[in-house]
Amino acid sequence: MKRYKKNEFGGPLNNTVMLFFMFLWSIFQLFPLVWLFLSSFKPTVDIQTNMFGFPKSFYLENFNFSFFNYKGILLGTYIKNSMIITLASLIILMLLSLPAAYAIAKLKIRGKNILIIILIAMMGIPIHSAMVPLYYFIAKLGLLSNYFGLIFPYVAFNFPFSTLLLQTFFRQFPNEIIEASKIDGCSSFGAFTKVVFPISLGAVSSVMIIMFLNIWNEFLFSLIIMKNNAAKTLPVGLMAFRGQYVVDWGPMFAALAISVIPPIILYFIFHRNIIKGMTAGAIKE
Amino acid sequence: MLNKIRNIRIKESALGYVFILPGFIFTLIFVAYPVLSSIALSFLKWKGRGPFEFVGLANYINMFTKDLFFKTALQNSIIFSLGAALGTVLLGFIFAVIIDLKIPFHKFFKFIFFLPVVISIVSTSLLWLRILDPYGLLNTLLAKLHLESLQQIWLGNPKLALLLIIVVTIWQYNGFPMIFFLAGMQNIDDGIYEAAKIDGASTIRRVFTVTIPLLKNVFAIILTLQLIFTLKVFDIVWIMTNEGPAGSTAVLGTQLYVNAFHANKFGYASVISVILFILAIIFSIIYIKVSGYRE
Repeated sequence: MKRYKKNEFGGPLNNTVMLFFMFLWSIFQLFPLVWLFLSSFKPTVDIQTNMFGFPKSFYLENFNFSFFNYKGILLGTYIKNSMIITLASLIILMLLSLPAAYAIAKLKIRGKNILIIILIAMMGIPIHSAMVPLYYFIAKLGLLSNYFGLIFPYVAFNFPFSTLLLQTFFRQFPNEIIEASKIDGCSSFGAFTKVVFPISLGAVSSVMIIMFLNIWNEFLFSLIIMKNNAAKTLPVGLMAFRGQYVVDWGPMFAALAISVIPPIILYFIFHRNIIKGMTAGAIKE
Repeated sequence: MLNKIRNIRIKESALGYVFILPGFIFTLIFVAYPVLSSIALSFLKWKGRGPFEFVGLANYINMFTKDLFFKTALQNSIIFSLGAALGTVLLGFIFAVIIDLKIPFHKFFKFIFFLPVVISIVSTSLLWLRILDPYGLLNTLLAKLHLESLQQIWLGNPKLALLLIIVVTIWQYNGFPMIFFLAGMQNIDDGIYEAAKIDGASTIRRVFTVTIPLLKNVFAIILTLQLIFTLKVFDIVWIMTNEGPAGSTAVLGTQLYVNAFHANKFGYASVISVILFILAIIFSIIYIKVSGYRE
């Protein structure tokens, strides 16, 4: 559908007013982040005295000692933990939900409706409602402070949402394309690899990115399960910077800057995908 | 012949189950089973290890009648939920309307307003903690503007603390409803706007008579989603105020954590788990009704 709305807002005045407020809000949105990045390059003293200005020089010391072991805060380790847990969870999640989504979308199954209803019901359950028994369960399995203590619950809690998102996409995938490629001489397997897979990649990557963000940013459950300092994920590890006793703002800002960069980079590259993935299925054509 | 067809159908069904069951069972084990355990747990008194005792509805009665923190938490959760959900949805809608009008830089605005959504709440909370610090950005800014009288310990003020948490939540999530509204607006036929324009409607008029009625569905969906998300808030409260000052910003999520892992009252804490579960079901039903989700 071609969009071509012309701008007439009762005069140039309205246009300017709207723009003004939008820019004001943009400053409100951006300023904290800009302040964060600028401050991470200033020594602590400067952050206080020169709060609004540009850093005098590219002061990298903050990043230096915040990374490996700063007053017991093992930033490098936390990042490594987050990466491993997130990637492992993602892989297992995709291995489980891709076939499930395909089956729901394309195959005729007895009792499919009941399965779907149960999935939707489980999707809405907050981790809070399972928290206490799940903690006990994970402890019993000996998985406290263990990667799998988080990976298993993360996969389980994200499975319904991931499956339902993917099946929305698969459902819309026209069978005719598969048929057409078969007529053109593709085998069944060939049809899958040359036709279905490339087209699905967009939707699958959207879902993967959303799941990545969900898992990477998860806090509460990680707080409970990862008691061991060396096992903590990034969000939990960062909490050490909350205290009043950490007077050094420099390293703290550096750590925050580091934690904020991966999602921002992903966003810069994939923002269209992320937004499409999130609104898919919620808005009916 | 008919037997052949039936066999094919059974095979397809079986294949389907093979595809679905692994993930399904996994989720049943780690989601459904613990939730049901929570419900059972709420009728027990248990320290997490050792013996437990069946206490019937005692936990529920105690929580609703004798627990002041719970009362505060319940109030705060409702206030926070309504404030944050309405705030983000209304702002998101206004921004969506303006961006949909394709004013200059609209792509830039859309990009920037959604950006904070992908950042972790933990990072946001820590950042704003420094902004609202007594010697932080806000107070320093006020000093520069010669408004020293407005300076204060922002998060130490019981009247302002919850409000500030709502503001930060809106800062982070106003872009989320916005993209839903924008997606919905894509589906509105330009012809309707043209017709309205020909009939002499101004831009604002058009928003009220065309956009809003056609997006009622989206409104309901995203508002429900936001309410679901905000009722279980934990991260931002825990990091920014730790339920302070003096427990005045406690919410259901934090009380659940504190009761279970600080006071070791596993059974008692599970009451909150059950409450959140019931609320989640209610809102899920509303969501299904409102989004018209069909097989």
